[in-house]
Parts: sequence; structure tokens; C-alpha cells
Amino acid sequence: MNETVLIVGAGPTGLSAAAGVASVGKKVVLIEKENRLGGAPIISGYAKLVPSGEWASDAIGRMVKRVKDDARITIHKSTTVTKVEGDFGNFSATLSNGQTVNAGAIILGTGFTHFDSINKPEWGFGTYEDVVTTTQVEQMVVAGKIACPSDGRVPERVCILLCVGSRDRQIGREWCSKICCTVSTNLAMEIKELSPKTDVFIYYMDIRTFGLYEDKYYWRAQEEYRTKFVKARIAEVTQGPDKRLLVKGEDTLVKRPIVIPMDLVVHAIGMDPNLDNPQIAKVFGVGLEKHGFLDRGEQYTSSFASTRRGIYVGGSALAPEDIDTSISHGLAMAVRAVGDLSGLGQKAA
Amino acid sequence: MAIHEKSLIAPEDLITSDKLVVDGVDVSGHWNTMIKPRYISDYDPDFYKTIQSYGGGENVHRCWQCGSCTNSCTMYAINTDFNPRYWIYLVNLGMKDELLKDKDIIWQCVSCNKCTNICPKDVRPEGVMKALQHWLEAEGHTQKSNSTLFDEEFARQCLERGRIEDTEVIHNFLKKTGQDIVELVKNGWLGILVARMNKWPLLKQGKIIKFVARMPLLGPVKMGLMMVFKPRTKSWGRTGEVLRQYVEEQKRLAHESK
Repeated sequence: MNETVLIVGAGPTGLSAAAGVASVGKKVVLIEKENRLGGAPIISGYAKLVPSGEWASDAIGRMVKRVKDDARITIHKSTTVTKVEGDFGNFSATLSNGQTVNAGAIILGTGFTHFDSINKPEWGFGTYEDVVTTTQVEQMVVAGKIACPSDGRVPERVCILLCVGSRDRQIGREWCSKICCTVSTNLAMEIKELSPKTDVFIYYMDIRTFGLYEDKYYWRAQEEYRTKFVKARIAEVTQGPDKRLLVKGEDTLVKRPIVIPMDLVVHAIGMDPNLDNPQIAKVFGVGLEKHGFLDRGEQYTSSFASTRRGIYVGGSALAPEDIDTSISHGLAMAVRAVGDLSGLGQKAA
Repeated sequence: MAIHEKSLIAPEDLITSDKLVVDGVDVSGHWNTMIKPRYISDYDPDFYKTIQSYGGGENVHRCWQCGSCTNSCTMYAINTDFNPRYWIYLVNLGMKDELLKDKDIIWQCVSCNKCTNICPKDVRPEGVMKALQHWLEAEGHTQKSNSTLFDEEFARQCLERGRIEDTEVIHNFLKKTGQDIVELVKNGWLGILVARMNKWPLLKQGKIIKFVARMPLLGPVKMGLMMVFKPRTKSWGRTGEVLRQYVEEQKRLAHESK
């Protein structure tokens, strides 16, 4: 029996799991397909994280350093797993760099893919330069300047469209991406901080700033930062003769059509299942649930189990998830993996 | 064919023509009613600040449109056009024109404060209703009542001269309220008043001299003179000025402190 744990994905989930397994003295092999560790917050250049308010590079940077500095953790960057053989206790994984890793258990922290706004062409992404995504605005916040990509002007009016790629049967996204409301209200405040003269509007169906994020993000954005919340699902984004964007929809509460000029339109993009999930399911022999996320086994006595014994799934590979929860998932999976291997060892002895 | 939810369409947006030809097809009669779309084409994002400057409107920006105020509203139960939630929304987005469409309904608030008690965000909708009423008044969107016009004339004379002239108050009041003095004497309350000032019983008793002596002749003459000379209370100049300043200041403070 092999006590090493193979962890796939070095985002918040994988980094947390790796540190967890190493903390009880077990060996870890950490595989990351990108050439950097840190996952979406680092690869996509997020600004300040919810709810700590710390810069992503600092906060996730600490997680990366902790893993890098740990001698029990072997890291493979720009690498994927191409084949998995064996069973719980004795897995043998072949990597894309040709190496083989022997491990007793496997943790999947393979994360998600940002929704590609091209799939909602009526909202102007890809057609107009000044239609951007929340990820791009995160990057603007990191750069310290909110500007319209078309000509670099500071926008007088910004609107954020919620539920882009979420809760939309038309495009097969029948889930709430959980974090976009909080991210958007947070961004609305950051935009106002960087550019006090900019008016920020949020077009919403509902506001789902869950748990303690209610007052910290939603209420504060509305009450202190004067973000305007308009209940409207936007029909289309077009451009007026003055090159300003025109946002068209129905203001549900006034029961009236609206055509409102905006300088910058932001899509609050949702979380899709990782594009690689079909491949991951095949390689690791685990199931997918109906939306395309990785499927769970029984949750109550076998938490974070995938559909295959000895392979655990957590974080945003399971469903849209926030960073804090993903970190807890990672730690929980570390306990599962190490605990189950220990049980297996005792049985064998 | 009936137009669905016709009640939602403002009368000025319904276009009905006697004769209507569209693309060469005569649609006069049954199909001749067209609806002009009403678009919201812009916001006035600072309008809420105006309402906040009136007492009671301070928390209007907090509203998240749950509708508790409207649901709990005493007036809404009687008149579904009375919708505080909706007006608060219009304030926050700065849709003044939409708001003014309801300028005659907003006054129906009975200040029962059920909305203020139930509001989860402490918007204090009852206060917002008051603020809206004050705003409507300040912007001149409401007709002044006769009693307000009377008060204004009364106060003006007090401040100017330290006293009022009855004739002038009545004269200006009638002028401002557009009431015809001749008509009022002939058929209205003014005629009755004048008639009662005369001592008709004396005449009936044959006491003609007494009646003539008691006829209100001196009074009207005195009143006429007062109208012309407009006497002031002694050394009123400075006092009036101080009072006027005080009134102005109180008005300003009442508005600003909110």
C-alpha cells in the first residue's frame, strides 16, 4: 500500500489539500496543468478577495509559498495526468511528462472554467470593446485604473449585468454560480473607490450575496457606495451614434422598457464546469453530474467521495464554489485521504 | 380586440385615429388603436439626494424593493395606485417624470407607519412619503390651498407692517383665489356678512334715525383710508426685518438639517 497522495490542481482547493496532507507527515505529489501555481485567482489575476479584502497575489501567494517550501510536497507544473491504473491504496498515474506517480489516494481539485460571454452574443461581448467581464474588471482594479478599453476614457457610467452564463436554460446553464453577486457588489465598490465620479448600476434578477456577505457587500455597496440596483434582465446591448453602449431591457418594477446609455458594460460571468471535465472523468474513471461538474459519492459518511473509491473531489470541481469554502474542502479531503489510507493500512496489518 | 392591461397605458400614449391606413391596408375601426411605447431613456442618479434633503427621506437610498411597505400599507388596500415601494424605486433611479404622474396620489398617505415598522432596511417609507410631499410642494407641483393662500397674505402683511388690514387681506385673498367680489356680495358669504352688519330689526321697528346712525359707514371709510395709507405699527421697520430673517432662517434650517 502506498501512503502518498496525488493531488490534481493547484488552486485554493489543491493547495489547501496538499498542505493538509503534508501537515500530518504524508507525502504529496501536486500536479498543475498551468505553468503557475494558485489556480483561477492567480491565473486570471483577481484583485481583492472576498471576504478578507486581501490582494489575491498576497493571500493565494502565501498558500503557494507554504506548499513550495514543504519538502514533503513534489510539484509538477505544466503537467496533466494522462492515465490512472490500479485501485484505492495502489494507484499508478502516468503524467504528460512521461513520469509515473504511485499513490494510495487521489484528490481532484480541478476547478472550473469561467463562462465565455461569446455564448451570449446579444449582450455585446466580442462585438463592442467596452463590453467586458468581471475578470477583466478585476484586472483593471489590480492595475489601479478603471477605463473603457475602446479609448481609455474613464467611464461616467458602468453597469454590471448579473447572471451572465448562470440560471439560463437557453444556454444550458441551469445553476446559480453562487459568487457573482458578491463579486459584482465588491467590484461596484472598488470601481467607485478608484473612480468616485463613476456611477455604477447593477442589473439583477435577484441578489444572492449569501450568508455574511449580505450587509458586507450588498448593503454596503448600496448604502455607502450608492450602487444603483435595477431589477431588469437585459435583452440586448447595442451602440448609439455617439459610440456609447445602449443597454436595452425591461425594468421589471416600472413595467416599462428601458434603453439606457452606458460607457462600460460588465458581464458578471458564471462558473462553468471545467472544460476538461469529460477528459478528467475518463482518465480518473469518475462520474459527472448532470450539469457536467464532477459527481459526488455519498456525502454524509463519505464526504467528498467521487464515484470511485479512493478518489476525492472538492472545491469548484463539484459545483460553483467560493475560495474560502474551497479551502475547507481541500482540508477536508486531506483528512479523508489520509484517514482512509490509514484505515486501509490497519486492515491489511 | 381588447388591449390587454390597458390600465397600464397612459392615456396620452394611446393613439386612436378615425381613419388609419398601414402599408396600404385600411385598418380603420377595430384595429385603429396604436400604443406609443414609453421608454426609460435615462436616469438622474442624484435625484435621491434631493429627496434626502427633506425631512424623512434620509434613508431612501437603502431600499431593496422587497415591497413590505406596499404590502403593509393602509392606503394600498384601498387604492392599489398608492404604491410606496414603486415611488421609492423611482426616487433611487431618478425617474422624476414617472413620479410626477402620481403627484396627486402621494398625499393619500395616512402616516399609520406600518411600513416604517415592517421595513427590513429601515428606509422609513412613511418619512419618504412626507419628504416627497414637501418636495412636490417646494417644486410647485401642487396647487396651494385657499387656506394656505390666506395664511400667506396674512403673514406677509404682519411681517411688513406689524399689523393687518382686514380689507386688504380679504381683497388680496379673493384676488389670489380668483373669487369674484361682486358675485360674493350678491350670492355668496360676503353679502350675508354685510347684511348682518346692518341692523334690520331697527328698521322694522321704525327707528330710522337709529338705523342710519348704526349703518356701517365710518368703518368702510376708515378701511378705505387704511388701504391707501397702509399704516405701520410704530417702529416696525427693524422688528419686521429681524422677524423676516428669523422665519427665513428657520425654513432653511428645517430643510438643511435633514
